[in-house]
Amino acid sequence: MKLNALKREESTGAISRFNRGAFLVEIRALIALAIIVIFFSIMSDNFLQYSNLVLMTRHVAMNAILAIGMLLVILNGGIDLSVGSIVGLSGVVAGYLMQGAPIPFTGHVAYLNIWAVLLISLLVGIFFGWLNGLLVAKLNIAPFIATLGMLYVARGFAKLITNGETFTKLDGKPSLGNTGFITTFAAKPFGVPLPIWVMILFAIVFSIILNRTAFGRWLYASGGNQRAAALTGVPVTKVNIGIYVLSGFCAAAVGVLFTADLHAAIPNMGEFSELNAIAAVVIGGTALSGGRGTIRGTLIGAFVIGFLVDGLVLIGVSVFWQETIKGAVIIVAVAVEEIQRILERRQKLKSAS
Amino acid sequence: MLRKYKVIAAAAVIALGLTSLTGCSNSDEATAGGTIAIITVDPANPYWKAEVDTAIATATELGYETTVNAHGNDPAKQTQFIDAAISAGVKAIILDPAGADESVGAVQKATDAGIPVFLVNAEISAQGIAKAQIVSNNAQGATLGAQTWVEAMGGKGEYVELFGNPTDNNAQVRADAYHAVIDQIPGFKLLQKETANWDRAQGKAKMELMLQAHPNLKGVIAGNDEMALGAIEALRAAGKLDKVKVLGFDGNDDAVAAVIAGEMVATVLQPIVDGTRAAVQQAHAFLTDGTAPSSEKQAIDCILITKENAAGLKGFVLTTP
Repeated sequence: MKLNALKREESTGAISRFNRGAFLVEIRALIALAIIVIFFSIMSDNFLQYSNLVLMTRHVAMNAILAIGMLLVILNGGIDLSVGSIVGLSGVVAGYLMQGAPIPFTGHVAYLNIWAVLLISLLVGIFFGWLNGLLVAKLNIAPFIATLGMLYVARGFAKLITNGETFTKLDGKPSLGNTGFITTFAAKPFGVPLPIWVMILFAIVFSIILNRTAFGRWLYASGGNQRAAALTGVPVTKVNIGIYVLSGFCAAAVGVLFTADLHAAIPNMGEFSELNAIAAVVIGGTALSGGRGTIRGTLIGAFVIGFLVDGLVLIGVSVFWQETIKGAVIIVAVAVEEIQRILERRQKLKSAS
Repeated sequence: MLRKYKVIAAAAVIALGLTSLTGCSNSDEATAGGTIAIITVDPANPYWKAEVDTAIATATELGYETTVNAHGNDPAKQTQFIDAAISAGVKAIILDPAGADESVGAVQKATDAGIPVFLVNAEISAQGIAKAQIVSNNAQGATLGAQTWVEAMGGKGEYVELFGNPTDNNAQVRADAYHAVIDQIPGFKLLQKETANWDRAQGKAKMELMLQAHPNLKGVIAGNDEMALGAIEALRAAGKLDKVKVLGFDGNDDAVAAVIAGEMVATVLQPIVDGTRAAVQQAHAFLTDGTAPSSEKQAIDCILITKENAAGLKGFVLTTP
């Protein structure tokens, strides 16, 4: 597979085979989405209403943005368990700065303008992503362990900063020049909530990064076979750090959006959202072993999970069944793919003999 | 060189983070009074922070050192902290237990080691082991809240319910007490019940969806303030804040602000500060002259918080004007 990825531009045969596999997987996720939409629109009159579709898509968007970052990491055969905690931490940092940040030893309090708040919150996510990248790429710590540690570290910092409080004074004061946090980051340009626009923007930008830049080619190559990629001159360490930085960045963006949406910065915000992001990526047809997966598939995966969860609430299914059904759908979605692959392999063996 | 620094910096940050995780224990040397171990649920939540702060303040006042640990409702962690307290030779343990059945063994262990255990906020399912079990009277509080909410609704209407974490006993106790009041009145209709696990973000997401399914709902009863505050955010975004009556429970500062602003009909103050102070004082009495609390199970009544008295409530302490 990694050779296909490497040779994509030269060998047309490889391209068609590579794309057909990905296409089939995406079609399956799309069929799952179609079934979900048809089922719930029969069960509930409200499901297909415009306002409900916008609402559910806003819920999806938060997970989809996380999943885009997660996709990059998984493409390289890694995993990022810390994104949920980074959501909480960056949200809390934004909330802290909006309340006014005391400057040590001066007795002054800094009230930053909202764009500075946004920048610092994003930098926090980037920094923690960079630490993940260093641990994985430089110290060779297994991604599962490194990011699991960071999950606790980032959540711990979020709780240290809030010290038991919930930051709710996010509106700022005109006299301090820091107003507009909520109105800007929970805005609805053209009637569509900002998270949806951010999801679209991130999907486009990251598609371009994956498909049109050297970084993207390196990532697919390195994810397929890191050693082979390194031997062909791919800067695998740089790529490995880069993906965790981008994942941290995506998580921080969700943290700011979530805080504005909730009108409060809460330290346990985003708990377990890393698992939903992983589920979206996997349902979207991405191989956990790396090297194979697309943004489009990941988005479809996020819609499958999000519409399923919200649809079950909408028709009033008991909460225990909600969890059970969600888990079953994740397993079935991945199992179908694996079964098909086993069948294909058998067919090939047959035709070979 | 630079690379080396990067790695060292990363290691240092992680080490820092890890030490912060082990919590703010300051055990070691014991003074005249000795050490009281405080084991709580999650000090990141304002409610338990009030519990911890009160326990530390009262114990320090009475001349004790304190250690604080948080089990996050994980019985395995709770057992570890109990073990640590036993081997540290603390004088007494103030415990907010992680589950009624799950905590019996841990309390028994400490008692067997000769360390008296005083439970606050939640009970365990066995008696005669802990020296005291001081809980707030959730049923009585929920009844008060429901009565006020019924009045605000004008005695009828379609409503939805946000239920707490289903594995937490208090979720059921509060819901039962709410329904004991509401279900007697024929004009009320429960449209949907969803759990939001005590969480504000989940409360908002569930409320948004229930507003889609039932655009004309008139009321919300929530098992705690965080879920109620999430519902209020959803109602605010939908422009329905003035048409829907919301009931909370706990009396945290954000809820007080919502009650004053007229966004929440009422909340119910859990006397966590009074209960915790009583637990530490009873521990002190037991340690100094051996007087055990007159009864093990002690329920402290909750206080209804409405627009009239909300201004006097801050950090779970109510001062009457």
